[in-house]
Amino acid sequence: MLAEEDDVPSLIETDATATAPEVKTGIAAGSTVPLTIICGFLGAGKSTLVKRILTERHGYRIAVIMNEFGDTADIEAKTINVSSADDPTAQSEEFLELANGCLCCSIKDSGAAAIERLMQRKGAFDHILLETTGLADPGPIASMFWQNEEFAMGLGRDIHLDGVVCVVDAVFGRKQMEEDHAADGIGESLRQIAGSDVILLNKVDIPPPEEVEVTEGMIRGVNPAASIFRTVRGQIDLKLILGIDAYAAKPFAKLSEPETGSHTCDDQHCGHNHERGLTHYEMRGITSLQIDCPTLTASQLSRLDEWIRTILWENHLPEDESNPNILEILRCKGVFVVGDGKLYILQGVRNMYEIAEVEGAVDSATGVPDAGKLVLIGKGLDEHVRRSLQVLLE
Amino acid sequence: MSAAAVSCQSSTCPNGHPPSRLECPTCHKLGIQGSFFCGQECFKANCRINVVFGPSTVVLMLLLDGTFNPFGAHRFTGTVRPVYPLSPKREVPAHITRPDYAEDGIPTSESRKAGQPPRVLSPEEQEKMRTVCRLSREVLDIAASHIRPGITTDEIDAIVHNATIERNAYPSPLNYRGFPKSVCTSVNEVICHGIPDKRKLQEGDIVNIAADVSLYYDGYHGDLNETYPVGRVDDDVKKVMRTAHQCLHEAIKLCKPGALFRDLGKTIEPIARANGCAVVRTYCGHGINDLFHGAPNVPHYAKNRAVGTMKPGMTFTIEPMINLGHNWDLDHWPDDWTAVTVDGKPSAQFEETLLITETGVEILTAGKRRDDLYS
Repeated sequence: MLAEEDDVPSLIETDATATAPEVKTGIAAGSTVPLTIICGFLGAGKSTLVKRILTERHGYRIAVIMNEFGDTADIEAKTINVSSADDPTAQSEEFLELANGCLCCSIKDSGAAAIERLMQRKGAFDHILLETTGLADPGPIASMFWQNEEFAMGLGRDIHLDGVVCVVDAVFGRKQMEEDHAADGIGESLRQIAGSDVILLNKVDIPPPEEVEVTEGMIRGVNPAASIFRTVRGQIDLKLILGIDAYAAKPFAKLSEPETGSHTCDDQHCGHNHERGLTHYEMRGITSLQIDCPTLTASQLSRLDEWIRTILWENHLPEDESNPNILEILRCKGVFVVGDGKLYILQGVRNMYEIAEVEGAVDSATGVPDAGKLVLIGKGLDEHVRRSLQVLLE
Repeated sequence: MSAAAVSCQSSTCPNGHPPSRLECPTCHKLGIQGSFFCGQECFKANCRINVVFGPSTVVLMLLLDGTFNPFGAHRFTGTVRPVYPLSPKREVPAHITRPDYAEDGIPTSESRKAGQPPRVLSPEEQEKMRTVCRLSREVLDIAASHIRPGITTDEIDAIVHNATIERNAYPSPLNYRGFPKSVCTSVNEVICHGIPDKRKLQEGDIVNIAADVSLYYDGYHGDLNETYPVGRVDDDVKKVMRTAHQCLHEAIKLCKPGALFRDLGKTIEPIARANGCAVVRTYCGHGINDLFHGAPNVPHYAKNRAVGTMKPGMTFTIEPMINLGHNWDLDHWPDDWTAVTVDGKPSAQFEETLLITETGVEILTAGKRRDDLYS
């Protein structure tokens, strides 16, 4: 419909305020959506858990993001296909709106930006669950989301990393931990356990109890900082895996002590050291190191920061540049008491870390620790590392 | 937050684009924002031919000169609008070496190197960076010399493109992840990645030319940008320009072996705040060498988790984007490139490529002092 020049209408006077767009002046504290990464080998029971989340009336509105829908075909849901704006023939996103208010989406690009765009379109959720494929290492994914929470992606809802959950098969888990292979010598199941904050040891009703004990002990040895729950058919109270604040600058509960002495060594060639402080579980190179820290001076904290960043970024101890890449830290956590009474929390995944002052009132449940503590999980954590840190803390 | 009025949208306005409350009634009815004119004459001079396309309810309004806004229904945050059609894709002579993304837009080499620490360049490689950065600076200065009211950002793109290929170099932005032009031109509230089009620069605008005039020459990229005033600009516009410039140069003073990338923001943010401005968080500085964008990631805001310690031989950019006012947040146009402030207030940026030396830092893209940025 073409308008002739004669037909040009008269301008109307408008209140220009009506057209000024609403401006978001920043994200209020606590209003960002928590994101949990869930990993685990195929068959461990991850899908069962996810299916429960999508079907039970738990009252949470959770958006579950998977690479593909897999066996959700039998879930009662309304399918919504959303095609990409750039290429209408390619389906880049697909949604299932579930009866219990949850949402299930599969997207090809599980990068932070794509997920944020998704959330922008679909509205308010209490939580986002990102399911990774069976062999995936959650570390780099966690590090990406932990970095991204610093950025504000336009006017979309912002996401913060809540934690990493791993489902381990109580039947095959031990074998997987012992045998699985990866290019650099650290097995995928070990990487998953090392990078997780909550571990669900699932199908504990099937193997004999002693076997379950051994498997749980092995998991603890690799990752003493994670909470471990024994589950059957993926049944777990959701508040134990969602809303755990695993990356927050908040003091955390007591860490588990490494097992010592109470086991029997079957291997005749057992040449490892049973000294207190060294874990027995040098499974294919992954160990954990826990060190108690006295109250620190401000300058010690600063040197500690330098020590941490050297081992995380340069992969060697500050005093030993000769052997790079022996050290590989997958996860680190710590709480430090500084002489002036302040509390500092260390959080780190892969080479990304932060030592942040604890703000506000300390949660009385966990309380102010009398002493600081540092946990490192990774490869090459031998006595040199422990001694190097002890020298610093003296 | 309310705008008192919107400036006259006529490109031929004889009254200097005064603010007006007079709106096109058709646009108002269709929900198309921002069609304001200071009077009936300006309105008629730019009168529209309404073209409604079929079932998809896209309303495309063609101005008499053949230009149009392809995103008529979008809620623009300020007064800048895209002025399409974009000019045809510019050719690069066959003898010029192209980066891997020139064909398909995908920077494969960058993905392959993802996760690796920043490269330390050999003396020969550092010399290549010096060359490409010097050429980048030449191209930017040539483009800047053409800034005047009336020139379109597309014409600036042509100048950059031609100056680049004259130097036997490839304009790095061209087809990088599908970017359609050879330079980014960001006017007023556009923070970065503005696409050159047929919009004429107006007196009072500020324009950032990102020669991200990056030249891919001899296998290496150079990257720099500056924000320039178009004619006389308002005081607060001058302020945001000077603040961005100061942020960059104070951050450069911190650069030396052993300095941490995460500390740069601690210097930049207080300067912005002290001047009533905000630091954009979404886009960061980056490593640059044989890759256009690589490690390290260089945030410009305080309290960040950036990884890495500066070492001699590392080359990277610092490129703070500073918004007037307290909003650091941004919005994107439907072209998936143009980033704008959420409140329509102006944003300024300056960028240099840096080399860490044994004792400090060398600004590889250094140019002459901009007297207009100092009182």
